[in-house]
Amino acid sequence: MGSPPLFYQWASAFLPWLGVLAIITFTVGLFWGLGFAPTDYKQGDVYRIIFIHVPSAILGQSIYLMMAVFGFISMVWRAKIAGMLLIAAAPIGAGFTLIALVTGSIWGKPTWGTWWVWDARLTSTLILFFLYMTIIALHSSIENKTKADRTISILAVLGITIVPIIKKSVDWWQTLHQPSTFSLTSAPSMTPDMYQPLLLCVLGFYLIFIFMLTNGLRAEIISRERDKNWVKKQFLNEEIG
Amino acid sequence: MAFRKSATYLTPLIFFLVVITFFPLALGPQQSLLSALAPGVIWISALLASLLAVEGIFSEDQRDGTLDQYFLSNEPAFLLVFAKVLCHWLVCGAPILLASIFGSMILYLPDGVLIPLLFSLFMGTFFMSLLGALGAALSLGKSAILSAVIVLPFSIPTLLMGTAIMASAINGQDYSGYLSIMGAMLAIGIPGLCILTVEAILLSYE
Repeated sequence: MGSPPLFYQWASAFLPWLGVLAIITFTVGLFWGLGFAPTDYKQGDVYRIIFIHVPSAILGQSIYLMMAVFGFISMVWRAKIAGMLLIAAAPIGAGFTLIALVTGSIWGKPTWGTWWVWDARLTSTLILFFLYMTIIALHSSIENKTKADRTISILAVLGITIVPIIKKSVDWWQTLHQPSTFSLTSAPSMTPDMYQPLLLCVLGFYLIFIFMLTNGLRAEIISRERDKNWVKKQFLNEEIG
Repeated sequence: MAFRKSATYLTPLIFFLVVITFFPLALGPQQSLLSALAPGVIWISALLASLLAVEGIFSEDQRDGTLDQYFLSNEPAFLLVFAKVLCHWLVCGAPILLASIFGSMILYLPDGVLIPLLFSLFMGTFFMSLLGALGAALSLGKSAILSAVIVLPFSIPTLLMGTAIMASAINGQDYSGYLSIMGAMLAIGIPGLCILTVEAILLSYE
């Protein structure tokens, strides 16, 4: 999988299946959550936005974590593919973080009575969004793509110090945002009727992310290796066949 | 070396003082308002000033070839980078620290919190110098604003800790816990950021 042509072929075969699986999981989860899950006794139907908000917030954070791991790999072992994954993941992560911010803000207006509060968790999610943006900005400022990959890997590794602060911020500062819904160590605090579709939504979002990442990586590989023989052969074959 | 050109240490200092002066001009001269905002204002101004100061730290050395010698010498490069940042902080950061005493007077900082302010700023500005050096190394040969944009989001934990120290000091609470966290950040930051900076400089040679 380390070699770009091999990865390209493997990804092309695997991608449609992944796409279908992702769409099914996500659609089922969303319909279940929006249509059939019970209404919250305090918040009414407004709470249903969590079926989008929570998965995208989880994704926003875990994509960053993943990027830091890839950054470390690309720094230490100089693996080209890790650097490409890093920059392919950055816009997706930024997108999910933005979705989390926007949906949270839409939910906050009727529930908290304001679009935005300077709560620890909201603030750190905003900072996370800025981190994604700086990584994208730095990458686009460097002409040589391989060099750009390794430069942003330094930033990604540095930024990993920020994510623990986000995770801990709710415990450190007692503020408006409720604590996490999910935890690996204890039973969820909501009813099964609610968290089962939520879990499905999270899974669906992860699958969508993997789909988008693989697709982005494919595009990245093609655009960087466009002068190589195997790319020319590939596309000529596709046109003929 | 940096002392030879007064611009190196005078410019950040002037920047710091002018920014401090801007706040009363923009917000009005009420003493109670300024007094409440003083710690934050001084912190932000000091962070920005030390960030701007460190922005060109490697560009001169790159031009005249001193930077090449770092990697040719027998000493580990990260040690040389650390020495460079330390000297830079002594020339640029320390005057800002002294000027913050003056800033605390004209902004009516509440009594008795000058010591925590200086302690926290001491660590904060040094951390910013390290962080700014990394930003300078990452954007070597590019625009100054890029280096600032890269570094700013990463400076937020420092700012949060600094203002937490000030808030608990003003309320008369024990601030040593926050001070320890900040010290720990600095202790991790000195080796960590220096190594990353070396890595970033090496990249610019490729």
